Amino acid sequence: MMISPLLAAADTAGVGVAPAWVLAIPFLPMLAVVLTTLCAISKNKTKLPAWITVGCLAGSFVVTMLAFMTLSGETNTVTAWRWFDLSWGDGVGQQMVANLGFYIDNLSLLWMMFVTGLATLIAIYASEYMEHDVGKGYTRFFFAFALFVFSMLCLVMGDNLLLLYLGWEGVGLCSYLLIGYFYKKPEAVAAAKKAFIVNRIGDLGLAIGVMLTFVHFGTLEYAELFNSAQLQGYIAAVQEGRAGDVPLMAQLIAVFLMIGAFGKSAQFPLYVWLPDAMEGPTPVSALIHAATMVTAGLYLIARMLPVFLVSEWALPVVAWVGTITALLAATIGMAQFDIKRIMAYSTVSQLGYMFAGLAFLTSTGGVFHVVTHAFFKALLFLCCGAVMHGFAGQLDLRKLSGLWHMKGWRIVSVGMLIGCLNLAGVPFTAGYFSKDMILAEAFVTPGYGYSLLGWVLLLTAGMTAYYTFRVFFRVFTGPVQFEAGDEHHGSDDHGQDGHAHEDHAQGHFHPHAPGIRINAVLATLSVLAVLAAGLYFVSPDKHGWVGDMLEESTAHNVYTADHSAAAMFVIDGDTHGAHGHDDHGHADDHAAHGAHGGSILGMDPHKVMYYVSAVFGLTGILIAAWAHGPKGLVSGFIGGRVEAGKCRMDGVAAKLGPIPRWAENKWYVDEFYHFILVRPLRVCSHIFHMIDKLLVDGLVNLFGYLPRLLGRGAQPGQSGVLHGYALSMAGGVGVILFIVVMVTL
Amino acid sequence: MVLLLLIVLPLICAGLIVFNPREQARYIAAGGSLVSVIFGVVALGAFDWNASGTDQLNVAIQWVPSLGLELALGTDSVSLLLIALTVLLGPICVIGSFTAIKEHQKTYYAWLLILQSAMVGVFCARDLVLFYICFEFTLIPMYILIAMFGSSNRRNASTKFFLYTFTGSVIALAGFAYVAWQHAQMAGAWSFELAALGETARSLNLHQQSWVLLALMAGFAVKVPLFPVHTWLPLAHTEAPTAGSVILAGVLLKLGTYGLYKFVLPFVPEAVLEYAPLIAILSIIGIVYAGLICWVQTDIKKLVAYSSVSHLGFCVLGLFAVNSVGVTGSVLYMLNHGLSTGALFLMIGMMYERYHTRSMREVGGLGSKMPVWSCFMVFFVMASVGLPGLNGFISEIMCLVGTFQSAPWTGEAGATPGGTFGMLGPVFAAIAGTGMIVAAMYLLYMTGKIVWGSYREPEGHHEHEELPTDLSAREIGVLIPLAAGCLIFGLYPAPLMKAIEEPVNDTIAYVDVLNTGNTGRHTEWVRVDEASHDADHGGHETHDDAHDDDSHGDGGGH
Repeated sequence: MMISPLLAAADTAGVGVAPAWVLAIPFLPMLAVVLTTLCAISKNKTKLPAWITVGCLAGSFVVTMLAFMTLSGETNTVTAWRWFDLSWGDGVGQQMVANLGFYIDNLSLLWMMFVTGLATLIAIYASEYMEHDVGKGYTRFFFAFALFVFSMLCLVMGDNLLLLYLGWEGVGLCSYLLIGYFYKKPEAVAAAKKAFIVNRIGDLGLAIGVMLTFVHFGTLEYAELFNSAQLQGYIAAVQEGRAGDVPLMAQLIAVFLMIGAFGKSAQFPLYVWLPDAMEGPTPVSALIHAATMVTAGLYLIARMLPVFLVSEWALPVVAWVGTITALLAATIGMAQFDIKRIMAYSTVSQLGYMFAGLAFLTSTGGVFHVVTHAFFKALLFLCCGAVMHGFAGQLDLRKLSGLWHMKGWRIVSVGMLIGCLNLAGVPFTAGYFSKDMILAEAFVTPGYGYSLLGWVLLLTAGMTAYYTFRVFFRVFTGPVQFEAGDEHHGSDDHGQDGHAHEDHAQGHFHPHAPGIRINAVLATLSVLAVLAAGLYFVSPDKHGWVGDMLEESTAHNVYTADHSAAAMFVIDGDTHGAHGHDDHGHADDHAAHGAHGGSILGMDPHKVMYYVSAVFGLTGILIAAWAHGPKGLVSGFIGGRVEAGKCRMDGVAAKLGPIPRWAENKWYVDEFYHFILVRPLRVCSHIFHMIDKLLVDGLVNLFGYLPRLLGRGAQPGQSGVLHGYALSMAGGVGVILFIVVMVTL
Repeated sequence: MVLLLLIVLPLICAGLIVFNPREQARYIAAGGSLVSVIFGVVALGAFDWNASGTDQLNVAIQWVPSLGLELALGTDSVSLLLIALTVLLGPICVIGSFTAIKEHQKTYYAWLLILQSAMVGVFCARDLVLFYICFEFTLIPMYILIAMFGSSNRRNASTKFFLYTFTGSVIALAGFAYVAWQHAQMAGAWSFELAALGETARSLNLHQQSWVLLALMAGFAVKVPLFPVHTWLPLAHTEAPTAGSVILAGVLLKLGTYGLYKFVLPFVPEAVLEYAPLIAILSIIGIVYAGLICWVQTDIKKLVAYSSVSHLGFCVLGLFAVNSVGVTGSVLYMLNHGLSTGALFLMIGMMYERYHTRSMREVGGLGSKMPVWSCFMVFFVMASVGLPGLNGFISEIMCLVGTFQSAPWTGEAGATPGGTFGMLGPVFAAIAGTGMIVAAMYLLYMTGKIVWGSYREPEGHHEHEELPTDLSAREIGVLIPLAAGCLIFGLYPAPLMKAIEEPVNDTIAYVDVLNTGNTGRHTEWVRVDEASHDADHGGHETHDDAHDDDSHGDGGGH
């Protein structure tokens, strides 16, 4: 009796019924939505909406933890109410059922925990950050914020693909509303629109994937899908080396779902919306555009991993796209001067790593990186937000320096340092462990040029370390110098003339250090980001706590148990024929990977990667220290920067010719899209409009005019208009008839 | 009896308006339409939802017995829901017009009520002649509303509207007459009862059915309107008064799709299968083409008008998928589009009353000036974009899923468990799906201009004497039922789906019966329940092989 290892867990455990209190997890944020709406209706001008939101989200988090303690390891569903419910027969696939029901397994629990936890923290942060808008946009902000959490929870908890789609578009709406929060700024409006539309392109892919799933498997519900004989048959076929037996339609599902994932998670070529999304308030950037929403694509792939495994091309494409995105975004990130944009590009880049991780069949590595990244990237964004908040919107790293030495900025500086260490992958940080897991697997998993991708990702890791510490050294170390930005909110009326001064503007402008709530949140996140490294050491035999969690879910860790099976699959696809999989068919130790070329410089990647990636990371930091570090101990005595606006990299950049400028202009990808997509489409629309007016309608009018012309001789005074239109109508119908006849004959 | 009352009551109120002073006209109209809503609720309550496929609440009055004519009224759940929509929009249109209509109030409100009677008549007529009379009669009130109360180009618009749709209907009449004549030939006596005529029409051969289909399409496609016979709509919408646009978008266009659902699908199923791809292609062209045209409009009302052409493409597409999901989606589309687009026209009307312009160049950034209006605007835009959780999504995705399922090859024995019999398929659905992107493009373009951005007002703008800067309580009251409908149908559409399941499946059955060799196609897919799976695992191998042998046309590997 051979049961597919991928689905063994789901099969034997079965799907139970979750207790009804689990419903509180998504519906508490919904309650916050309703209550903030009531605040808006009653024209409440206090901070009440913030406290409602924080309270409801915290409640949701507590219930999630409760669910984690009682339900983890099992798969349970609970239905709130029926949503789509239609049947036209009794057979399989003769009904379309998609309920407002929730699917609680370890994979969804993992996402639920960090979504609700981070949302609560960031809501507290935002309650202070958005203070200047109390009575204006404050309620609107928290309305959208709470709605976002509800949608995100629907996305990760939904027990069917349509509810996932609801969450998917719901988070898109909230993202739209929050990016466009400062709606009087044209850039914010444009960025919001761009985010929604680019996401819609991905959403179409997702929708087609969902429809294909429905047509092919006859169900939209996970519980039925993953237990269907059909899907298990395909997996068995792949494991037995008969990948070609999986019908094309089933293989296409993953390809279309992938397009959806690329849109939402900002991967090449659909990543262009994310950097622009930084027009939104910073707490939004931290929660939505760094920690949670953009990981939805990863969740989708992790959730639907069985479907991805039966597709020959889906995962290799994911690997390549992820790597290309990681590299491309890192190159752009190195040349930006706006610290928030740097963080945005680094998010795009890190998401690329996660996709690559999933594609290298280390769902543990990919998802672990999602979790660690969620914490340290949220921390980094919130630190940037604190800086922006305190310096009247100043984000240019050439105009800020030495924050470490300023009174009241120590917590921000330490938080930033912790975030940077994680992002740069410095040894023994959480980001180091999670990134290594992905990198090592690039050299282990056989596939189309995966080891090349591994080297590219290593190089990118070095670049990441460089641009991360570029920010840190420039903004937080060195002499204390700053210029205020051009936003003056709150009681600060001096901000605006800060621009006029080349140098420090302390005389006019007093930066205000973050208050207790912002600092408390930053401190909490810093601690969590450090502690996240410990997750790696929980149940080490399963590659950390995340691996332990995923073992009982659809994203079941292929890393250990059936790596060989998946590997075989790739080899089959690779025209190497079916050789070799008998020997490795059931091997589950890492030694077996060696046979597939799994080595880096002749050593076992799993062991040596710790050192290799550390070398790349530290090199990046050293370059940053040399180029941007201040004189003295902080930069290891190799830095030499003495003022905010000048550094050694300026000279290097000058020697590189136009390349840094191209990178700063994002390699002109936006312009390229505008030129090949938006402009032609716009022209096309104008042409259609002309055709409609002149040709389609003109023809009608011509028919209307003809009888008048004809009748003019006989009876000039006759009101030919009516008849004319009648005839014109007949003419229009005649055209259709003509087409019909032409087509059918 | 309640159906008869729903038709007669507005007529009586219209009479009252004529014989009462001008000042009372709007109150009589509001009262009449509100009482109609009560009757509508009574009708919903009296309806037996367990037999939703059979005609209920029947009324039959002898008319011309020698010709087999009688005034037969009745309704199944689909018709009833459309009646409910019509009746709901009644008071909304009346109350929404209080400040907009200053002159000829008696004429305006009387015709508005007469229009409502005619529309209810269309939906509950169970006799072809009565149906056709009501169907044509809707033109007259609408013509007057546009011609007397429209904007600058109203004469041209109303004439075009009237003649364009009228000509189409005349051709449809020829088709109906042909069917009736055939029936008289076969049965030996004239009858205009829908069920009997349907029987006759289905017995015609493909050639004859095709002609009937084309004739009926001529009438209904113009009404929908389907590309390329849509050009009357943007003009009529733009020129019509607000209430006219609301009714036009909300109900009158649905007369076309309702006609397709009620007559074309069950009458000539063979021809439907034959022509489904062609009509679907026209729908898809309409979806994308009209959507792109929306994107370059500066007149906000014209933009929404063209969006109706684009949206109703989905509706027609769903119908011609001729499967349960598609047709259900299409019927829901009729309701949902009525709510969301009707609301958008109301919103635009409210803006127009204050700024006297529809040009997005002259007015914009209302978010700061009219926050309540802006909230509603964004809400209805999202409903129209098809955001999940709101009503537009439900019907749009179902039309697409239905289209997707209905491939000739997915319906074949053993191909896929989720496939159904039909003539469209994934390619149709995928191309139509681009309409979702286009919809986001033009609607967000509109929102970006009119709601977001910095405030712009036309030159010489001054505040309205009667209306506040932002919405008045009356206006909010008009919008709330529509918003509630959008939200409830979006989050809990299951009862609606169940309500129309039976009549839709009955309609589908006429087409499905043509799918010979379809028997037992689903039997081989058995769900694996845990117990049998564990006990007998060998079964799953053979099972899989059986599948692989049967699935053809997909899968490059065998």
